[in-house]
Amino acid sequence: MIIPHPLAPKLQDVLSSLSEHGRQHLTEVEADLLQTNQLLKEAIAKLGESFMAIHAATLEQQSIVDRLLAEKADGQIAVQSVREVSEKVGLCINAAVTGLQFQDMTDQLIARTMQRVVGFRDVLEILCVGGDDLGSQQNDDSMLAVLDRMKVVLEQESISLDQTLRKAVRQTHMESGDIELF
Amino acid sequence: MAKTILAVDDSGSLRQMVVFSLRAAGYQVTEAVDGQDGLDKAKAQVFDLVLTDQNMPRMDGFTLIRSLRALSTYQKVPILVLTTESSDEMKAKGRAAGANGWLVKPFDPQRLTEVVKKVLG
Repeated sequence: MIIPHPLAPKLQDVLSSLSEHGRQHLTEVEADLLQTNQLLKEAIAKLGESFMAIHAATLEQQSIVDRLLAEKADGQIAVQSVREVSEKVGLCINAAVTGLQFQDMTDQLIARTMQRVVGFRDVLEILCVGGDDLGSQQNDDSMLAVLDRMKVVLEQESISLDQTLRKAVRQTHMESGDIELF
Repeated sequence: MAKTILAVDDSGSLRQMVVFSLRAAGYQVTEAVDGQDGLDKAKAQVFDLVLTDQNMPRMDGFTLIRSLRALSTYQKVPILVLTTESSDEMKAKGRAAGANGWLVKPFDPQRLTEVVKKVLG
């Protein structure tokens, strides 16, 4: 029968905990990056559409102006047409303004991702120091105590990191948000 | 005389969009880069409406709103929150702090203008 070394289960526990916390943090990083990518794609698509629509509307306006200048168009009808095209341009610009707000949201997501990456790196640094401490222990009991402390620190720091990184941006699309007056 | 609005947000691009939208509707808009800057500017001049983000450095939106409501000149001034936050919990906190409305980003310029017009009467 193989009897494991007394330290083996403790080491396994610490490594398992490290792996689990690491996995959770990196899963959050992945989710934030996917969300950022999605918002950016939508924003670029919206802005592209707005740009093309504004371009088409200004060409239409120019053609009306050209006809007026050539005195080939009925003044009243031309004025009405220009007004209608101007309204179209206004709507396109509104859509572009909504799309341009992507920078604020993706900035927050990226900042959150950065904080998590840096924070988790700090946690690994703390474990590294714990590992150094482990190397100077002279008996199993003191090594077990160091491993216990490492596990506690890992969990406390990881949970603390999670708690400081509230998710303020939940938007996955660039549609305008709700308005509520109290 | 044009109504005056204080727009508080730590995002320069967002402030640019707010200013663009509201100035086009005829309002005079002053920008502030965070809650503290907003409070300093609000003390220097009484605005007709305050539009503030929530998550900002130095001073967040809720703290700004509570500080404004503590001033006699801002007891009745409408304050709207314009934020990425959409949870009922945050809205309730905003309302408790003294906000009059909650707008979730991204905003549509026409809808923003309509709600500002409604709130300013």
